[in-house]
Amino acid sequence: MKTREYLILLALAEADLHGLAIARAVQELSEGQTRLWPVSLYGTLESLEGSGLIEELEDARHRPADESEKKRFYRLTRTGHRALATETDRLGAIVKIARSRLKPRPGGAA
Amino acid sequence: MNVYRLLLRLAPRRLRDKHGREMEAMFRAQVAETRGRGRIAVAAVWICALADIAGAIPRNLIHLWRRRGRVGVPRERRSLMIGSDIRYAWRSLNHQRFASVLVIGMLALGIGSTVAVFSLVNGLFLRPFPFPEPDRLVYVNETAPKWNLEMTGVNYHDYAQWRRDQKLFEAIALYDERAFNLATDQGSDRMQGAAVTMDFMKVLGVHPVLGRMFNQEEDSPKGPLVTMIGEAVWQERYGGRSDVLGKELKLNSRVFTIIGVLPKAAEFPGGVRLWVPMQGDPSVNGSSYSYDGYARLKPGVTLEQANADLMRTQQVIFDTRDKEKVVTPFARDMREQFTRNFGTVASTLGAAVALLLMVACANVAALMLARALARRREMGIRLAIGASRTRLLRQLLVENIMLSIAGGAAGLAIGQWAISALITSLPDQAPTWAAFSLDGRMVAFTIATSVATAVLFGWAPALHAMNNDVRGAIATATANSTAPVRGRRTLWALVVAEFALASLMFVCGGLLVRAYDRVRNTDPGFDPSNVLTFTIAVPQVKTPDDASGLAFRKRVVARMRELPGVKEVGMISCAPVSNCHWGTFYTAENAPPRGPNDADPIILNRAASPEYFSAMGIRLKEGRFFNSSDGAGGIDKDSTIIVNETFAKQMWPGQSSVIGKRVHLGSTPRPGSSIQWLSVVGVAKDVKHYGLEQPVRPGVYLPEPLQPRAMNTVVLKMAGDPAAIASAARAAMRDVDPEIPAYDMRTMDERLARSRSLRAAYSWMLAVFAVMALVLALGGSYGVTSYLVSQRTRELGIRVALGAKRSDISRTVLKGSLAVVSIGVIIGIAGAIGAGRFLASLLFGVPPYDAVILAIAAIALATTGFLANWLPARRASRVDPMVSLRAD
Repeated sequence: MKTREYLILLALAEADLHGLAIARAVQELSEGQTRLWPVSLYGTLESLEGSGLIEELEDARHRPADESEKKRFYRLTRTGHRALATETDRLGAIVKIARSRLKPRPGGAA
Repeated sequence: MNVYRLLLRLAPRRLRDKHGREMEAMFRAQVAETRGRGRIAVAAVWICALADIAGAIPRNLIHLWRRRGRVGVPRERRSLMIGSDIRYAWRSLNHQRFASVLVIGMLALGIGSTVAVFSLVNGLFLRPFPFPEPDRLVYVNETAPKWNLEMTGVNYHDYAQWRRDQKLFEAIALYDERAFNLATDQGSDRMQGAAVTMDFMKVLGVHPVLGRMFNQEEDSPKGPLVTMIGEAVWQERYGGRSDVLGKELKLNSRVFTIIGVLPKAAEFPGGVRLWVPMQGDPSVNGSSYSYDGYARLKPGVTLEQANADLMRTQQVIFDTRDKEKVVTPFARDMREQFTRNFGTVASTLGAAVALLLMVACANVAALMLARALARRREMGIRLAIGASRTRLLRQLLVENIMLSIAGGAAGLAIGQWAISALITSLPDQAPTWAAFSLDGRMVAFTIATSVATAVLFGWAPALHAMNNDVRGAIATATANSTAPVRGRRTLWALVVAEFALASLMFVCGGLLVRAYDRVRNTDPGFDPSNVLTFTIAVPQVKTPDDASGLAFRKRVVARMRELPGVKEVGMISCAPVSNCHWGTFYTAENAPPRGPNDADPIILNRAASPEYFSAMGIRLKEGRFFNSSDGAGGIDKDSTIIVNETFAKQMWPGQSSVIGKRVHLGSTPRPGSSIQWLSVVGVAKDVKHYGLEQPVRPGVYLPEPLQPRAMNTVVLKMAGDPAAIASAARAAMRDVDPEIPAYDMRTMDERLARSRSLRAAYSWMLAVFAVMALVLALGGSYGVTSYLVSQRTRELGIRVALGAKRSDISRTVLKGSLAVVSIGVIIGIAGAIGAGRFLASLLFGVPPYDAVILAIAAIALATTGFLANWLPARRASRVDPMVSLRAD
């Protein structure tokens, strides 16, 4: 999974959001490291939707009241939740291995 | 904001349609965030957004391709339909994947080899020298036909005269390749450098990166010891610091001050790492001829005018020193000077690769024609249901251009790879001044070649096949009958052409390989096995006189003899096949006085230690080699000399024995001075000193006490592998004197291999091209026969049904194709015999009609032809009449 896909899923795990809000959430989550630009953001959203990880909110009742009609809101699907969890576990495992390798070796130059 | 909306037109349509407004809004928000942070921040946002859009374009293309099967009525129909053309072409090429890959592969091979050879030609002949106004640069030297020397090297006195008197040159400068022992903390290094006159950089038009050029005072005899270093040395040794000026370098045991740094371009003609002023003395008359001259013409001056100007200035010398006009100066185009050794090779390779490309093109043409013939039915139907002809033609063109782009790209990659492999395999022969990297010209050449081949040889045959009326096309195609006569004839003609070209190349490649083999087996006149050589440069200050020089060398030899496995140690002033030459003149006793027009050939002069001959394995024709008493009287007494066979033949023609005859140095005895006579004690067999293909010059060996300080090459004859002793020899040299490095350490086998590496390279290149042509011909012929057989299934089925035997069928098929192949081979071999004449200068005496090569070529090509046709013929014989007749 690409970093930006992971970050988008992560942003949507907290709340259902629209495009610009997703971009801001991603920027915040990555501590400013990942900034999404319009075409790649919507391109990624399309492909995530295509693979069933997120879906567009169709029903107006699910929308927060203060947002205008034009914006498309997305939410995480069940599959999306599972994918996010799996990817998080995978990353966690890698981080664990990485930490153990990066431990200062005894006798090494400090 | 409207600008961004326009830019979004470049983004994928599906995104734009659905999210266009939101994307605009988002971009607006992103611009708004930067408000108050200055213009640079706004510009950064714009750049990122642009990159974002641009990045989506290739992704979109991939997406479209993936969906190509599911595209309904594409919206692009409204536009030029190029998009659908491309998509359709992709589908059709993808459908016949094997044929497409074959075409791309053949194009890639043909174009790749063409690109490789073109990059050679480009680097050598087309790319301008990296200097301002390179057209005005000329090479200056002197010629002396009487001395049997085409280029003598420039004499400093002559040069000073030209420089004073000339009117048409902006500057003339001399260049002399020199290497220095550079003292370092660890011991010493050998560094390639050059001695130049003060105008050298003015000639090239190069300016120092740092510091200044040599001035008049520094370029005068006994001037201050200064040096300019190259950018590479500046970076490596001084880390590019600007305080390098004024620093000191110990070169050849003397201290030089750095006064400037020169850019990379100044390393001309290659590998020069530092420069010292030449400090020549114009008042010394008639000194040696050894320098290279470079000059820059004034604007608008032609080469003829420049030459006339040189001759005019030389007149003073003709009037005084050189009354017989033995040595005359000349200027020639610098490019011509630098590429003289490569002209024939480059044109041969160019011709070979053009032939190879033609074979590849014939193949492509045959394949495309067969494809087009097979698609007549499809095309006919499309025409019939209303497709416009232009649409079909454009469709075919797009297909071919796609093939050519793929083939060209692969070819460019192959060519680049091949040329870099070639250059690295030629460490000595590849000219250092030339660059063979990719440039605009190469890219343009590749694109032009690939598009031309694809359009001429792909599109044209397709048109040719298609060019019949709709009804006929459908009628014949639906009947699945054999191909139309015209198409079939063209196919056979292509096969003939392929085999003709392939056999031509095969013969020429074979001849060159045979010539190479002959060169390799030439007797060099010495025994290169288990011999290691290296050079030492002993600076003047270490051994100021001959006695100390001789003593130092004896110390070196004695130390080397202690190394394990050493059988013999000798020293020589100038080792064979090492790019070294030192010429002087000799006169025989009682020889008739030379007339003004008589030749006075230059003699290769060497000083050798007594052990040199056995160490190098040089054979004796008569007399004896030196012993320790030879030359013991020193430089002023009569002494002994060993001459080579050529010398003996030229000095004393028709004499059976020349032992005891006497010669003296110089062309004419100086009246009044006493003559030092050298009597011949031995005649050595000729050594191929200048390379296996070069003629042998008359040469002599002087005993070592006469010229001890000239002896710089140590020759070690080993019991076993000579390379194994290399590091021990280096260490031993450090023991003798840590400031004198042992450099240019190579075995004689290596030197011999290097001396013929250029021939090896082009011979094998041609052989590879020939084999490639053969493979292409094999593939082409196979493809054509297979296609024709597949078109004849119905006919063959009927024959079988009517009682033809399987062997009859395969014989019919084979007979037809082999006839075509043999016509090609005969034409090709006849052509090769004719073409051999143009190769003669490269053939080293191998006759162009060499029977062995012709026979091998005929057999190889006939076998290839048989192989190519045997499989299709066998397939034809297996035709099941029931299946083939029912197929309709």
